[in-house]
Amino acid sequence: MAQPSSSKSFFRLRKPVSRRQSLISGFAIWLVFFAVWIIASAAGLVNELLVPAPQQVFGTTYELFAERGFSSDVLISISRVLIAFAMATAVALPLGVLMGSFPAIEAISAPFISAWRYLPAPSFIPILLMWFGTGEAPKLALLFIGVIFFLVTLIMDHTKNVREELVETALTLGASRSVVVLKVILPAVLPDIVVALRQMLAMAWTYLVIAEIVASTTGIGAMMMRARRFLNTDEILAGIIIIGALGMMFDLLFAALHRWAFPYLRKA
Amino acid sequence: MDQNAALEIRHVGKSFDIGREQSLQAVSDVSFKAEKNSICVLLGPSGCGKSTILRMIAGLETPSAGDIVIGGRNFDGPGRDRGMVFQAYTSFDWLTVRCNVEFGMKINGVSRKHRRERAAHFIDLVGLGKFADAYPSQLSGGMRQRVAIARTLANDPEVLLMDEPFGALDAETRWLMQELMVEVADKTNTTMVIVTHDLEEAIFLADKIIFLSSHPGRLKEEIVPAFKQGQRIGEKEQAVKMAGYSELEAHLMRLMREEGRGLE
Ligand SMILES: Nc1ncnc2c1ncn2[C@@H]1O[C@H](COP(=O)(O)OP(=O)(O)OP(=O)(O)O)[C@@H](O)[C@H]1O
Ligand SMILES: [Mg+2]
Repeated sequence: MAQPSSSKSFFRLRKPVSRRQSLISGFAIWLVFFAVWIIASAAGLVNELLVPAPQQVFGTTYELFAERGFSSDVLISISRVLIAFAMATAVALPLGVLMGSFPAIEAISAPFISAWRYLPAPSFIPILLMWFGTGEAPKLALLFIGVIFFLVTLIMDHTKNVREELVETALTLGASRSVVVLKVILPAVLPDIVVALRQMLAMAWTYLVIAEIVASTTGIGAMMMRARRFLNTDEILAGIIIIGALGMMFDLLFAALHRWAFPYLRKA
Repeated sequence: MDQNAALEIRHVGKSFDIGREQSLQAVSDVSFKAEKNSICVLLGPSGCGKSTILRMIAGLETPSAGDIVIGGRNFDGPGRDRGMVFQAYTSFDWLTVRCNVEFGMKINGVSRKHRRERAAHFIDLVGLGKFADAYPSQLSGGMRQRVAIARTLANDPEVLLMDEPFGALDAETRWLMQELMVEVADKTNTTMVIVTHDLEEAIFLADKIIFLSSHPGRLKEEIVPAFKQGQRIGEKEQAVKMAGYSELEAHLMRLMREEGRGLE
């Protein structure tokens, strides 16, 4: 029988690759990236001032933490994200679940909330600065605004997808409305909510950087803007790396939380 | 008022609004009774309103005409006196089999000790003793449906409603489940109303068959399988061999065919 491609071919159509191959491929692409960067720097192909060599960037990253108290900036940034995100979750979770459970509540709040999604959060920065001054409040407010409307809508949509039969089963077992919401709809939708939180946390990092670059003297973004004034490109790149690493770390934490909290989703 | 009836459907009709000022008459003037502790089977072609009738008994839909009486009472909305088993899987995936079966009792304030005992009893009855601590995702389709049945029975409903409960199961599992239902009917005091479009299943399970015709759903014939002589039969192969079985099957087939022609 004629096969579309031999089983030994590297490019097999829509056949999953082995775990080993995917690890090697994933590692190799980064290796190539850094190799190109190192070679380009060493050969003088790029302006040293604009693109410092990778070893210098990593050296600076270490120096920032070890000698220049950069960890306090990092902690400030993390706490901003976590506080604003916790506030957004505290509002979005109950509201989204109620909107997804009671069409009457959806009818009131959905037209209002979905309209806000079309307003880019950074457009509020000038007015937030006027309202809240220059302290923590405007930054937290920006993150909150940037996340809350999407989060509510996502949670509402997931809640609506809870199968009607589950709700009806609970009702025929004698459940009241509040029992249905708290004991059936909420646990049924919780895994999806954690996924939604994971997606939105990545968005919160984006708004954090905007807030800190535009209007802050502390935090990772502010450090990068300071570095720009002194043409310290290596510090700017170090900041980017740290932000990326933090984003990835929180993403992995959420993935771990999901696995830990919902063991029943794993197939036997 | 009939003292022997657990459930009475009186001249019940249901029309659905289907938009643009139009409505669809799904069920029209249906009346029947289910005697206490009996198995009543609703049979009929697809779309004749079987699910709609069952959902009205459960309180999940409101009749547009007539009324439904459970143990002499009217009702408004769903309640624990009318437990329902759906065709689709309804296991609460985040709870173990034991907690699924305890769910109804828990929300109705049954004490913990009593709950444990009853749950264990019904889990054993449906043959899932070894799986009490498993999660539904670790079970096969037939096993999950048994969890749903145990959960509903453990909640001690007066009437057990089942909408094609074994439709998604393979033939062998389906026989076992049918035999299980006969066993459950004998061992508990539950009145059952079971919807099916499987003739064999209807004949095997029914103390009484309510045959419905379609568009709109009306009562066509009420049939008591006379060949059973008032006795339930425990095994499928036994039923098939009995005198009168094939006559009844042929009769039901004829009814089905008449309805099928009506659609053309
Ligand atoms: N919520 C609804 N809105 C509008 N029409 C409905 C609704 N539910 C049922 N119907 C209509 O009522 C009629 C009866 O439906 P029902 O589901 O009760 O049939 P059934 O006998 O259970 O069929 P099946 O054997 O295919 O399950 C159908 O014509 C169906 O389209
Ligand atoms: Mg149906």
